[in-house]
Amino acid sequence: MPIIEANGLSKTYRVYQKKEGLLGALRGLFSREYKEVKAVEDVRFAIEAGEIVGFLGPNGAGKTTTLKMLAGLIYPTNGTAQVLDHIPWQREDAFRRRFALVMGQKNQLWWDLPAADSFQLHREIYSLPTEQFHRTLGELTELFGVKELTRQSVRELSLGERMKMELIAALLHQPQLLLLDEPTIGLDVVAQVTILKCLRDYNSNRGVTILLTSHYMRDVEALCKRVLVITQGRLVYDGPLTGITDRFGREKLVKLQFDGSECPANLETFGDVTSRQGPTAEIKVDRQRVAAVMAAILDRYTVLDVSIHDPPLEQMIAKVFEQGGVQSPGTPVPGLSPQ
Amino acid sequence: MILRYLKLWFSLAKFSLLGEMAFRGNFVVKIVVELLWLGMLLVFNFTIFQQTTQIADWKVNEYLFFIGCYFTMGGLMEMLFLDNCNQFSDLVRTGDLDFFLLKPIDEQFLVSCKHIDWSCAPNILLGLGVMGYAFWLGEWELDFFKAVLLVVLFISGMGLAYGFMLLLMSASIWMMRNQSLFEMWWLFTTLMRYPREIFKGRFAEPTQLFFSFVVPIMLVTNVPARVMVKGLESSWLPWYAIGSALVVLGVSRWVFRAALQRYRSAGS
Repeated sequence: MPIIEANGLSKTYRVYQKKEGLLGALRGLFSREYKEVKAVEDVRFAIEAGEIVGFLGPNGAGKTTTLKMLAGLIYPTNGTAQVLDHIPWQREDAFRRRFALVMGQKNQLWWDLPAADSFQLHREIYSLPTEQFHRTLGELTELFGVKELTRQSVRELSLGERMKMELIAALLHQPQLLLLDEPTIGLDVVAQVTILKCLRDYNSNRGVTILLTSHYMRDVEALCKRVLVITQGRLVYDGPLTGITDRFGREKLVKLQFDGSECPANLETFGDVTSRQGPTAEIKVDRQRVAAVMAAILDRYTVLDVSIHDPPLEQMIAKVFEQGGVQSPGTPVPGLSPQ
Repeated sequence: MILRYLKLWFSLAKFSLLGEMAFRGNFVVKIVVELLWLGMLLVFNFTIFQQTTQIADWKVNEYLFFIGCYFTMGGLMEMLFLDNCNQFSDLVRTGDLDFFLLKPIDEQFLVSCKHIDWSCAPNILLGLGVMGYAFWLGEWELDFFKAVLLVVLFISGMGLAYGFMLLLMSASIWMMRNQSLFEMWWLFTTLMRYPREIFKGRFAEPTQLFFSFVVPIMLVTNVPARVMVKGLESSWLPWYAIGSALVVLGVSRWVFRAALQRYRSAGS
């Protein structure tokens, strides 16, 4: 039985089209033009208990809107959803006790007080038994490595420490579902890695289901086996992360180190040269031609080192965003199917 | 259930106080400014009573009781709800309301009570002091029935004021910014500040009737204060005040919940 089941979820906003200048503003007082913006359109997917699913898409693609509908914060224009056996926007207390939403760009802790005070308030709101609360808090502060910081005012914490506290607050009531919207945004690499490791450990220890949006492929690669890709409000891919490489990665990157101090001059004949520095070069080659190109290069030049890898996932995802169309899992997106 | 909400309210009150105490200077200045403002209002009213012995049918000690009632009521409203209602449109505009809607607790309770403005607590004490002084001057009889009635009418007055505040606050979800509606709240508090009987004349009387019986904001302080100083002159007005408080509270809750369905949150 899926933890999340979205069935044709759509959200349309009516957005005021402001005219330019003072005259436009004055006209707007009397008559206004509105435009219908389809933020999310006919989104369907299901997530099983214990999964960690990445929700990818460019800015304004509809990720956060979908997440907010699943959290019951906004009502959909069309479609239905079941989250933890509840209709989210009915916002029943029994539902709200079982999940948490963390938004990387927003702060829900009491700004001028230590995080410990916000945690206490959280205990009251969720009616957590004292013993369970202290045990969970102890485990979480240990896991996130912030035991010594809970008595420090939130405004005096670093961004990374604050995000850890936000996550602790979100996990105190032991939710079965964690919705994360850009949890590592703005964090340095060390903080990102720590948070990702904590989330992965928490998922494997507690079996919590996680739906995560992020612009950092590092987050997605570290946590998610499965991804949903949304662009212009429509879901264009639902499948394994590795499937993106198989499906959309038409090229391979071949990195070569030649004998001598310079690369050969005519490398362009083998593929698209993406970088060239001293004796090393990187060539983008069509997947189907990799063997033939390698044979030709090795035949003509002395190569000291070679490595072949997929282009960065970001590039492939960007390609999906640019050319995205609607598809159901397992069906290639038109124009993006492998050669 | 009630116990859970009471405990939660006390926690919110405690953390609000801790938050305010973190900025002691600001806290003290706020208290001083509030007391100065009420002190000026008191001096102004005493000055008027240097020129006359009564205003409409309110004698000096009766009027003093009315003022005390207004200070107490206003202080309670400001301490408990005003800050929260004022911040509501910001919560809507920035999308921070999300966090209040995620919690397994009544949204209206959480939004209305999240912050207790302790700097208004001295206003309440001052108001109670003025009421006590007026009571001592007036030598009115206070039996058990009258005391209970006074408390009930005082609570219903607060309910009425809170209901109107909630209605104005709910409009934020449609309007995003509703400073003008809060100007209306200040107009309401001005209407609460004077006895109904002083509104005489061609324009003032219909205004008084409108704000007593259609939008009954004038009943908030008038009814409890008048019952205390003049006794039960009318058998229906206290019931009307209680009934309208219940109606306004019910309607405002319905409007608030309907408004939440229109909430759009904000982009991240």
